[in-house]
Amino acid sequence: MFSSSATQFPCLRVCIFGLCITLLLSCGDEAEIRSYEIPSEYTGAVVAWELPEDWGENPDLSGPMAGSFHVKTNAGPTGRIGVMPFRESVSSVDVANMFGMELGYPTFDKVKLEEISEVKIIDGREFEWIRLTDRGLEKSLRTILLALHRNEDETWLFPFIGDRDLINGQEKNFESFLASTTLRAGETEIRAKAPSPPPPTHNQHDTPTWEIPPHWVQTSASSMRLASYEVTDSNGSKLDFSVTSFPGDVGGTLANVNRWLGQIGIAPVEEASLDKYISPIIVDEMNAQLVVAEGDKDALYAVILMVEDKSWFFKITGNRELAKVEKSNFLSFLDSVCFH
Amino acid sequence: MSEDIHKKKKNTLGARRKKFAWLVPLASIRLTLLLLSLSMILVFVATLEQVRIGIRGALAEYFESMYGIWHYPEQFWGGEYLNFLPIPIPGGYLLGGLLILNLTAAYVTRFQWTGKKMGIQLIHLGIIMLLVGQLATQAMQEESRMQINKGESSNYIERFHGVELAFSDVTHPDTQKVITIPQEILEQGGTIRTPELPFKLKIKRFGVNCDFTVVPEGSPRSGLTKDVNRGVGQTANLSITEKDEDFSSEGLNFGYLVFEILDGTESLGTWMTIAHPGGNHWWKESPRLSDLAFQPVRHRGKLWGVTLRSEREYLPYSIELLDIENEFYQGTEIPFNFESDVVLNMEGNQSRRALVYMNTPLRHAGKTFYQYQMNAAADYTVFQVIRNPSWLVPYIACVLVSIGLLWQFSFHLIRFLRKNSNQVQPA
Repeated sequence: MFSSSATQFPCLRVCIFGLCITLLLSCGDEAEIRSYEIPSEYTGAVVAWELPEDWGENPDLSGPMAGSFHVKTNAGPTGRIGVMPFRESVSSVDVANMFGMELGYPTFDKVKLEEISEVKIIDGREFEWIRLTDRGLEKSLRTILLALHRNEDETWLFPFIGDRDLINGQEKNFESFLASTTLRAGETEIRAKAPSPPPPTHNQHDTPTWEIPPHWVQTSASSMRLASYEVTDSNGSKLDFSVTSFPGDVGGTLANVNRWLGQIGIAPVEEASLDKYISPIIVDEMNAQLVVAEGDKDALYAVILMVEDKSWFFKITGNRELAKVEKSNFLSFLDSVCFH
Repeated sequence: MSEDIHKKKKNTLGARRKKFAWLVPLASIRLTLLLLSLSMILVFVATLEQVRIGIRGALAEYFESMYGIWHYPEQFWGGEYLNFLPIPIPGGYLLGGLLILNLTAAYVTRFQWTGKKMGIQLIHLGIIMLLVGQLATQAMQEESRMQINKGESSNYIERFHGVELAFSDVTHPDTQKVITIPQEILEQGGTIRTPELPFKLKIKRFGVNCDFTVVPEGSPRSGLTKDVNRGVGQTANLSITEKDEDFSSEGLNFGYLVFEILDGTESLGTWMTIAHPGGNHWWKESPRLSDLAFQPVRHRGKLWGVTLRSEREYLPYSIELLDIENEFYQGTEIPFNFESDVVLNMEGNQSRRALVYMNTPLRHAGKTFYQYQMNAAADYTVFQVIRNPSWLVPYIACVLVSIGLLWQFSFHLIRFLRKNSNQVQPA
């Protein structure tokens, strides 16, 4: 039947032949979505989470943040929750000081930190829980809740910044968020280093050199402090001297000065009254600001210097009388600072 | 007796011609000559065009198509008047297909299937095989590359052309689930849903080549990436401009994709990604763009990495690079020898050591690994990997043509010698 019709219609056979050729040409793999499993090739850190329903994700991940979130409220996105992975074990004291400075806390030591921290077990994992409230401004409800989790040499920090009521209301959500997280250290560099100033490098503006008066006693520098010295007189009065550096302007001059004023018991000032405490000074041929503040018991001399996009703080604080004595040494120290 | 045989042969051919009457016009020698002439024109035009659009472009436009459109070159005589005129040129598929048809028809309707003509039949059979083999190669051959760093091993190859969007779930510490979406689907655009992914993808823009620049911080992005609000496109403030595909052999095509991820109806953000033509590991050389090799997407407690990369194929074996050596002709930068000392690690803990150098490839499991590139300073080697299931066909075709020629010439030679010896016999 086919044979006879094909003989009658020779074009049919030519078409069949052509079809075979076309099929041959088109016999490549058809495009399709494929799925397969391979042994894990990923060597980075794994930080994953599940967000509570009334939380949203912030698109801008600045600095060391691996994740950034807010709480959805009727007034719009409120509060800020972050995920900060650190490549190394970070001291809780350093972390508390980093955030405490913002809220006007005096420098923490281990003992002081223990008073405001606790350990929470969430989903079988241990979190160090640190709650900080604003000390700098009166009636401020600004609160920072820090959750730190450690696994071998890695540290994950989850800061929750917001108003006291918001944080109290969201504490359960914060806990369920922490419980949902998958935290696995990577073999290679992960997003953030420890919150320390960069280590000294050959870059001309990275770390300055200076000369320290011989009677200043070096104390242990931390990942927060580039240099740390203590001055003690015969009466046992003490001064604490530090050199720190941060990216950016760390909130600006007013915020920094008010934070320091709070540390020595002086009320914060408005922008217009800032001149009362600051004056211009030249450090290594660069314009800087000298902050001089004397309270009833304590005093503070500090210099704020911006080099490229970094803030440098040279600060001596402690007993008022001793500070007056050491003021000249502090100014000599500033003369010796050299970024070249 | 011989008259009977001759008659029988004629009858057999006649019967075949009758039976396959519809093939007779296709067996025309005129058609053969026409097709061969058109093939010469095709080769001429494609050679001219190769200067303009490169080898790959000429192949795609003229040989891997039914027809190509050629514009008379402006530089030629009268070019300024004739350039606007589109001239259709029959493509490789059309001419190749017709030649196969023509030869097959001649084989069936014109050739006598006798021992005397067997040489001619074998020669034509060989030529048909060559043509069919070339078509099969065209359809089935895959060309890829494999880069291995010294002291490391690799178990995947990447295609030279064509990209895929790959999502990798890396949450599990031991295994990695990979979902790949090929270029053909990305080109179609629209919304992509697959049960393998817990979210949907909305393709906003895909292109095979682009220029990309890092816009200064604070400056707004414009054009294709202005909607991007997640990933490297946002953090590095990347701006891209669409470009035509570069078909030249040195051409680098940076495929790009702008896409939105949707969880139900909720948008999780818009990302952009760029594929590096040399392999996405090259992005790691640039700190700001290194995430283009793995942009994290976190969703419901899982960490996914997304990247647009050269189409990848994982192999059930791996190749470890032990050592590399490259030699140049003295005083020049012309390579004399590239050599890779490798170990092929197969399934079942079996391994085989091999030296791969110019014209001495490594063959394994249907794939051939040719020495392709090398960088002794950076300690890596690149193999060109060819998979061609029909690689034997040209060899068989050549053997057939050789036997046919030998048969035909021998037949005539023997007949000539016999005739000669009969003539010189004394009367």
